[in-house]
Amino acid sequence: MPCRDLAEELTAAVAGAVQKIFGFATAFGPLLTDLAFAFDAAREQYHSTPILKRLAEDAPEWALKIIALVEVDLFIPILTHVYGEAQLGGKACIVSSYRLNDESWRHNAREKFLQRMIKEAIHELGHTFNLRHCRDHRCIMHYCRSEADVDLKSEELCRYCRILLLDEIKKLTAW
Amino acid sequence: MNSAKILIVDDETIMRESLAGWLERDGHQVQSAPSGEAALKKCAQTRFDILLVDIKMEGMSGLEVLRRIKEADPEVAVVMITAYGSIATAIEAMKNGAFDYMLKPFDPHELGVLVEKIIRHQEQARENLYLKEQFKERTRFESMIGQSEPMQKIFSLICDVAPTDATVLILGETGTGKGLAAKAIHSNSPRRDGPYVVVNCGAIPEHLMESELFGHQRGAFTDAKETKKGRLELAHGGTLFLDEIGEIGVRMQIDLLRVLEDRVFYRVGGTQPIEADFRVLAATNRRLEQLIREGKFREDLYYRLNVVSFDMPSLKQRKEDIPLLAEHFLRRYAQETHRSIDKISRDAIDEMMLYDWPGNVRELENAIERAVVVGKERQIMPEDLPILCHEPAAAPRRNTLEEVERAHIHQILTENQWNIARTARILGIDRSTLYNKIKRYQIQKDA
Repeated sequence: MPCRDLAEELTAAVAGAVQKIFGFATAFGPLLTDLAFAFDAAREQYHSTPILKRLAEDAPEWALKIIALVEVDLFIPILTHVYGEAQLGGKACIVSSYRLNDESWRHNAREKFLQRMIKEAIHELGHTFNLRHCRDHRCIMHYCRSEADVDLKSEELCRYCRILLLDEIKKLTAW
Repeated sequence: MNSAKILIVDDETIMRESLAGWLERDGHQVQSAPSGEAALKKCAQTRFDILLVDIKMEGMSGLEVLRRIKEADPEVAVVMITAYGSIATAIEAMKNGAFDYMLKPFDPHELGVLVEKIIRHQEQARENLYLKEQFKERTRFESMIGQSEPMQKIFSLICDVAPTDATVLILGETGTGKGLAAKAIHSNSPRRDGPYVVVNCGAIPEHLMESELFGHQRGAFTDAKETKKGRLELAHGGTLFLDEIGEIGVRMQIDLLRVLEDRVFYRVGGTQPIEADFRVLAATNRRLEQLIREGKFREDLYYRLNVVSFDMPSLKQRKEDIPLLAEHFLRRYAQETHRSIDKISRDAIDEMMLYDWPGNVRELENAIERAVVVGKERQIMPEDLPILCHEPAAAPRRNTLEEVERAHIHQILTENQWNIARTARILGIDRSTLYNKIKRYQIQKDA
């Protein structure tokens, strides 16, 4: 469910980054078309945890992991909002463009937005490979406190996280 | 940021799960409890760094959980979780020792910042406590000095062993610098930025040793007015140096072995296991194999400590270092006492080279300190040195080293009317070592 105007460009860019960092081929399509089941009327937001659960259940058998790109505002009950959520060591993750699309940008708005979405998508996908937040500010697994922090971090895993990812991939492919 | 052990106490499953999931992604070790009662049970089994407690719960309230937790362990940071309607209760909780409170739902940034702030606060508190302890001990650290071959071998051994996490047993006579070697290992190890905690096993009476090492809970015994952290806990992330390990009692040897094997211990009167991450270095001037044969030292503890061991050479074995060491001590004491003595006379050096220095480097240091104080010239003269009055030639021949040592200690004690401080100073050993030797050799006052 990518953002309407950037749909193709965004999915292609995320697919490219996934291929580069994780080494897996990607496919995309509309897995869930109606998110009403996750809507909280009081908060006017979507609860991301049940969406992840549904995605993991509905995912085709051949899919190792699922990334959902959405434009609605996401939350988990204890927090006011989240940019995204992932099942730690699980199958599904989700990223929302809602708070990453800063309208005050005048210059390079499109590229900046794309970069943020790619970084957050890779970050959440990293969690499904059991990666935790990293203290290295440049690492893509670093937890960002603000949109500006997202802009500062790179699109790469640090050496430490890369080794942990390889360990996890080895475990997965050993099955 | 380091990770913390966090307990979430909330009677709403969805709140517990969403918070736990969020904190786990941040690398923290998270557990949760659905009620105050369950939380207290968990706290009795595991020591948490942070508790996130919902104020309004069925059964035991959040405020009661706070009170009970703080009573058992005042250092746990408790953060109260509250809804808009109960801010007054949250403020009351702050007065009762809560670290902070958060309004549901939290801003994810604020949660991260708060957890980070708590971890930093706890690290600083641990470090301050350690620095205070260190200041109390007034332990003097300095670089090791020596150009002799035996010392060059020691330097090379230290360089080899320092980067590993191996337990090291440092052997050697009193005053040979075992403590300096231990400090040098720590300073050159990856734990160098962590605490370096010294336990002088010979100086702490056995009945105080348990509380000193493991700490105690408030009320564990009559004098335990406050919960106190032990040296093992203070050494977390750094190095624990067990000096004079041969003097430790058999009961404490059992406890120590258990800690070294499991890396987990309990405070006296405590029920929570405390995990400790420290490297162990130990030193002794006793022959541990002999003590094992006599049943005074546990063999299993010996093997646990003796992963790597080396002998510090006596000063007699490295006499070529004497001038260098003497110069070093002269510079230090002349500066400390503002005396304008800047040289050691040729004759004084010769006397020093002829003497056997049974108290090793420490005896040499004390001799120079004394010479700087009593010296009348701009340079140290032979008569300024306290070594001329007790030459080794006076010792009876064909006796064992221990017999010579016993006789020598007895003589100096008698000459000084059993003034322990003065005798220890002359012998170049500390008072606790002198007491131990008096006890071991059963030296008594002449009738």
